[in-house]
Amino acid sequence: MSSRTGRPPVRSAAWRISLWATLAFTCGTIVVFIFLDRFVAKDIQRRSDAWLSGEVEVLGDVAERTPNDALYNRVVGEVAELASREVPEKGASQQPENDSVFFIQTARDGSLKLWVGAGDGLAHLQAIQESKLAAGGPISIHVRGFAIPFRVASDSMADGGRVYLGLSERDQRRVILNLRMRFFILALSIVLLGFAIVFFTSRRTLSHVRNITEAASHIGESDLKRRVPTSSRNDEISQLGDTLNRMLDRIENSVHQLHTITDSLAHDLRSPLTAIRGKLETSLASHDAEHVEPIVSAIEELDRLTDFLNKSLDVAEAKADALRLNPSTIDLDKLLRSIIDLYEPSMNDRGIRLHLHSATPVHIVADEGLIHRMVANLFDNELKHLPSGCDVDIHLQELQGEARLTLRDNGPGFDPEVRQQLFTKAVKGKKSSGHGLGLAFVDAVVRAHAGRVTVSDLEAGGASIILSLPLAAHEPDPMHTAHAG
Amino acid sequence: MVEDEHDIQAFLQQALTEAGYSVDVAPDGRAAEALAKNNKYDILIVDLGLPDQDGITLITRLRQMGVYAPVLILSARRSVDDRVRGLEQGGDDYLTKPFALAELLARLRNLLKRNAPQGSGELTRLRVQDLELDLLRREASRSGQLLQLTPQEFILLEFLCRNAGRVVTRSMILDKVWGMRIQPDTNVVDVHIYRLRGKVDGNGQAPLIRTLRGVGYVLQDR
Repeated sequence: MSSRTGRPPVRSAAWRISLWATLAFTCGTIVVFIFLDRFVAKDIQRRSDAWLSGEVEVLGDVAERTPNDALYNRVVGEVAELASREVPEKGASQQPENDSVFFIQTARDGSLKLWVGAGDGLAHLQAIQESKLAAGGPISIHVRGFAIPFRVASDSMADGGRVYLGLSERDQRRVILNLRMRFFILALSIVLLGFAIVFFTSRRTLSHVRNITEAASHIGESDLKRRVPTSSRNDEISQLGDTLNRMLDRIENSVHQLHTITDSLAHDLRSPLTAIRGKLETSLASHDAEHVEPIVSAIEELDRLTDFLNKSLDVAEAKADALRLNPSTIDLDKLLRSIIDLYEPSMNDRGIRLHLHSATPVHIVADEGLIHRMVANLFDNELKHLPSGCDVDIHLQELQGEARLTLRDNGPGFDPEVRQQLFTKAVKGKKSSGHGLGLAFVDAVVRAHAGRVTVSDLEAGGASIILSLPLAAHEPDPMHTAHAG
Repeated sequence: MVEDEHDIQAFLQQALTEAGYSVDVAPDGRAAEALAKNNKYDILIVDLGLPDQDGITLITRLRQMGVYAPVLILSARRSVDDRVRGLEQGGDDYLTKPFALAELLARLRNLLKRNAPQGSGELTRLRVQDLELDLLRREASRSGQLLQLTPQEFILLEFLCRNAGRVVTRSMILDKVWGMRIQPDTNVVDVHIYRLRGKVDGNGQAPLIRTLRGVGYVLQDR
């Protein structure tokens, strides 16, 4: 059976469902994240810009009002210093100098008048002058020597000079980065959790389906009594199980009906046959040799009729997939040897040679009686149809988990008229004796054992019949294995 | 013998009587129980399809009544029931209809033999007229002359010798010698017998293996 439990989860439907669900979920999360990220970044920018604009105005004001004396630089410097302290300086950069804020006052000619910040401020001033910063709206300015740009706001003063307040975007970026990091970890754990939940719930749900499949695959040719498992929950899957079981009920019913019909037919025909045969046999003893001939041929005809009856009923049942099997483990190699032993003298008398090519035991689980009759049928067929001087090659081998039996002869091949419908019903070639059920019976038996038969004419002349039957799963097990039909 | 079909009843009774058995016939299960209560039988022949009850049920009830005689089951059913297999393992036997009388008689003899106290071990030599089989060395000789037999031919001859004087059918030979319950529509068994006869009766001696047309073969013991 193909649907075993040992399948890797990667190939299961639950896995695929979870992957798709996770993909959709991830995409949604990314969209939400991008939106939030933009919103938060803008908001932070706006807040810091508002602070910058306000502060630069205050500083400009202070610079204007402070008398331009010896203390000027100190006073304005202090104020700017104080302003820079308002900026939350978080975390790592506990450097002695705060390099995230700077204040510049320029004179009318644009030369540096006052610098508050780390370093000498020339690089900052140069960057500001290159950027053509207009009054008002803060913009981002890259300063040489700093990886992260500064957000700089400016204000003009009455004396024609300008004040600039710059704030490094570092903190802003750190906040955003922090936010992104947390969001990413959160989103990842939610996605993983979601994946796990989807995977396990869908696997649980699908395991019911798998149980149904598993059970249904065991409800084979001869075992119609079993049912697929159902659950009390009234969901789609338990409905599937219920529907399957109702279908099986109907199938079992019709198979049972068929068995009843064939049984009663067999019984009604066999009882009179028994009586007739018995009477003929007893009367055989009381006649002298001259008169026995008609009685003897009547008995032989009766036996042929019985055989025909048995085979037709088997074929009929097999066509309806209703053949009853009593499986046990059979060694095909041994069986072939004893069949060949039985048929070889008759074949040799007719000038037909048999060649067996089989090296090792090949075990199958099958109904012994049916397999014996089926193989005997194949040999009967060869014996009846091959002209003298032919060879029959019999190959038995294990191929891809199957037992393959090939009968190949170099006789005239199949009658083209007949070949089309060899298996369909009782057909026989014009010169054939027998009742023509031979290959239909072979096909019926092989199909009942989940195997197949292929028949073909060979290019070089002659015919070939190939039988494939599933191998026994385990090493031979002497008594009836598996399910008893 | 429990059998409801009148025709079968009649010829079986005649054949069994001719074979030296004394037979009581019951047409249904109830009559069979009554007979079994008042008599002691060596062997029972029970048809599975009885008018008042199932043959298996009857056998179970007889066993409960303390009737332990072996049973030969006759069945007109197509498939051999699992329950019949169970009984077969319990020492009983079955035969599907229609059957050859010779086979019925052979199976009866087997069942009786199985039930009888065991003799003094297995035979190592069989002797029928001037034919002699050494079962240990797997050799056969006629009038002191060694016969060149294949192993399969020896088994066939041994089977005929063990049933010397009695008819064996083709299906009995197939069953016992080749281990198959099949019904070939070709003369494969006849060819084997023909070859064996060529070796056993080939030297102008009185023929031992006789063909009874329509019935089977017999190895004559006198």
